[in-house]
Amino acid sequence: MKLSKLTLCLMASAFSITGAAARADTIKVGVIATFSGPNAIWGKQFREAIDVYVAQHGDEVAGHKVEFVYKDVGGPNADASKAAAQELLVREGVKYLAGFDFTPNAVAVAPLTKQAKVPAVIFNAATSSINKQSEFFLRTSFTLTQIAQPAAEWAAKNGSKKVVSAVSDYNPGIDAETAFSASFERNGGTVLEKIRMPLQTNDFAPFLQRIKSSGADTVFTFLPVGPATFAFTKAYNENGLRAAGISFLGGGETDETTLNALGDQAIGLVTAYHYSDVHDSPLNHSFVKKLQELHPGSRANMASIGAYDGVELIYRMIKAAGSDGAKAIEAAKGMEWESPRGPVKMDPVTRTVVQNVYLRRVEKDADGKLVNREFATVPNVPDLGFNP
Amino acid sequence: MTTPVLSSSPRRAATSLSVLLPSVCVLAGAALAFLMFPYDLSFLTRIVIMMIFVVSFDLILGQAGIATLGHAAMYGCGAYAAGLIALHLSPDPILGLAIGAVAGAVMAWISGLILLRTHGITLLMISIAMTMVLQEAASQARWLTGGADGLAGITVSPLLGLFEFDFVGQVAFIYSVSVLAGVLLLCQILISSPFGLALRGIEGSASRMRAIGTPVYRRKVTVYVIAGAIAGIAGALTAQVTGLVGIEVFNFSLSADVMVMLILGGAGRLYGALIGTLLFMVVHHLAASVDPFNWLFVIGFMLILVVFVLPKGLISLPTRVTQLLRRT
Repeated sequence: MKLSKLTLCLMASAFSITGAAARADTIKVGVIATFSGPNAIWGKQFREAIDVYVAQHGDEVAGHKVEFVYKDVGGPNADASKAAAQELLVREGVKYLAGFDFTPNAVAVAPLTKQAKVPAVIFNAATSSINKQSEFFLRTSFTLTQIAQPAAEWAAKNGSKKVVSAVSDYNPGIDAETAFSASFERNGGTVLEKIRMPLQTNDFAPFLQRIKSSGADTVFTFLPVGPATFAFTKAYNENGLRAAGISFLGGGETDETTLNALGDQAIGLVTAYHYSDVHDSPLNHSFVKKLQELHPGSRANMASIGAYDGVELIYRMIKAAGSDGAKAIEAAKGMEWESPRGPVKMDPVTRTVVQNVYLRRVEKDADGKLVNREFATVPNVPDLGFNP
Repeated sequence: MTTPVLSSSPRRAATSLSVLLPSVCVLAGAALAFLMFPYDLSFLTRIVIMMIFVVSFDLILGQAGIATLGHAAMYGCGAYAAGLIALHLSPDPILGLAIGAVAGAVMAWISGLILLRTHGITLLMISIAMTMVLQEAASQARWLTGGADGLAGITVSPLLGLFEFDFVGQVAFIYSVSVLAGVLLLCQILISSPFGLALRGIEGSASRMRAIGTPVYRRKVTVYVIAGAIAGIAGALTAQVTGLVGIEVFNFSLSADVMVMLILGGAGRLYGALIGTLLFMVVHHLAASVDPFNWLFVIGFMLILVVFVLPKGLISLPTRVTQLLRRT
C-alpha cells in the first residue's frame, strides 16, 4: 500500500511537470457555456464566433499561442459552473475565463476569479449586479438597463405618450420594466400599467386584450427568446393591436436565430438593441461573411457578437499583460476598439462595454430573409443600471 | 432481499461489521481518489454530494418502493435554508447542515402527508407539480431568494473553526466525504433494523403488510421524512460548496437524473446508489469534455444498454455473469 501510494504521488507529480512544460508558451482560455440541452444555442453561437475570430486573427498573440478549452454546463447551473471553473483553473491552468450565458453561472465563479486573480469575460449574462461581485469581471454583451433606458427616451421623443409595459415575470424582465418606466416617466410619458406575465405561459391573448383596452399607444415588452416571443408577437397581431395602431417596442425578441421562424407577422416590429447582423459596416460584413463560410446556415446574433468582442478583448489583454490577470484587468479598463456592432469602449467603472444602441425595424431583405434594419442610433450608452 | 430476518446473538458482531462496511468502503475509495486525482477535487466533491442525494432517494424508491419525480424539492429546500442561515445568522457549516436537514425533513413531512396517500402515476404527477410550485415560489420571492439571479454571496466559516475552505477544494472534499460516510452508516443501521424490514415488506406487498398489522401509511411518511432530511443535507452541502443557490435546485431534470442514476446502479442497494452515481457522473464528465456538444448520446446509450442487459442495475452484474456462466 505504501509503495503504491508513493508511485501514485510520483505519477501525479510527473504528470504535472510534463503538463507545465507543455503549456510554457500557451495561454489557455476556459470557455464555460451551455453546449447541450434546450439552451445549447448559446454555446453554439459562442463557439462559432470564436472560430471566426481565430480564423481572422490567428491563434498567436505577442508570442503566446492561445488555446480555447470548452466546458459544458447544460443551462443555468451554478454548481456545474463553479466546478467547471475550478477544474479549468486548477488542472488546465487557464489564465482567462470566458463565456457565461446565464447570470447564476457567472455569479458562482465570482469568488474564484478573485482568489485566482483571473479575468472572466462575460459574453452574455446581462444583470448589472454581476460585475459588483468581483473586480475581475468584464462584460462584452449588454445590460438590460443599457437597452431599456435608450428605448424609453427614443419612444418619448417619437410620439409615444401612454405606454403599457408587459414583461416576463423574472429578474431580467423586471430590470427592463424598472429601467424603462423610470426613464419614460422622466421624459414626460405616462406608464399606464405594468404587466408581469408568467414565464411559462404561451397564451398571451388575455394580456394583449388588456393592453388594447387600456388606451395605450405603445407596448414595451421583454420576453426570453424562444416560444414565448413567438406566441407574444403572434397574439399581438391576432388580437388586433397592430391594426389598432398600438406600436410594439421590444429588445431581443427579434433575435436573428429565431427571426425567420416568426415569419411575416414580425415585419414592422420595432426593437432597441446593440447588434443586428445587417449593421452596415465593412467590419460587420467581413464578420458575417466569414461566419457563413465556416459555418454555413448560421446567423450572427447578440451572442455571437458578445463572444467575438470578448475574444478581441482577451487578445488585447494578452498583448498588454500576457498571463498576469491583475495587470490585464487594469489594461482592459478604458480600452476602445471598432467592433462589428460599431465603436465600443470598456467602461473603467462598470466594466461593461459602452456602445451604441440602435432602433431597428424588422424588414424583408432582397433574398426574402427577415432582418433587423437599423434606422436610428443612440450613441455611446454605458451600463446605466450599475450603482457601485 | 433474502437476508435472514432474525439475527441471533453470535451474529451480532458480524452484523455490526456489515453495518460499517459501506462507510469504510467509501472512505477508502475517497482516500484513493484524493491521492490519484488531486486536480479534480471540485468534480469529485460534486459526485460525493450527488451520492448523498441518490442514497436518500434509494431509501424511498429502493427500500419502500415509493416512486416520485420530485425529490429535488427537499434538496432545494435544504440548499436555500443553509444558504439563508449562512447569509443572515451564522456562517458555521455544521449548523448549516443541520438546518438543511431540518428544512428537508419539514418539506418532506408536509408534502409526504399528501403525496403518500397516492401511488403510481398520480404520485409521480403530484410530486412533479410540488417541485414546480416551489420553483415558482423561489423565483417570485426575490426579496428572500434573489429570484432567477440566485442567492449569491454565501460564505461559510472554517470547518470546526480550524479548516478554511480552500481554493483547490481539499477541505470541501473531505467534509463532503465525511458527511457521506455518516449518512451511509445511518442508512445501513436503518435498513437492517425492524423498521427497514417493514419497508421492504411494503415494497413487496403493501396490502399484505397492512393485513399483518403494519401501519403502512405512517411507515411511508416516516421514511419519506428521513430521506427528505438526507436530501436536505445534500442540498445544504451544495449551497456551502458552491456559494450560490439558484432556482435550478428545483429543476425537474435534477429529480429525473437522480432516478436515472439509481436505476443505473440498482435500486434497493446502497452500493447500487453509489455505483450508479459514480458511473453517471464520470461518464457524463468524460463524454462532455471529449465532445461538449453531443455527449447526451453516450448517456442515453449507456442507460438503454444497462436497462436491457441488467434490469436490476449494475450492482447485479456479478450475479448475472455467474448465472450466465452456470447456464453454459
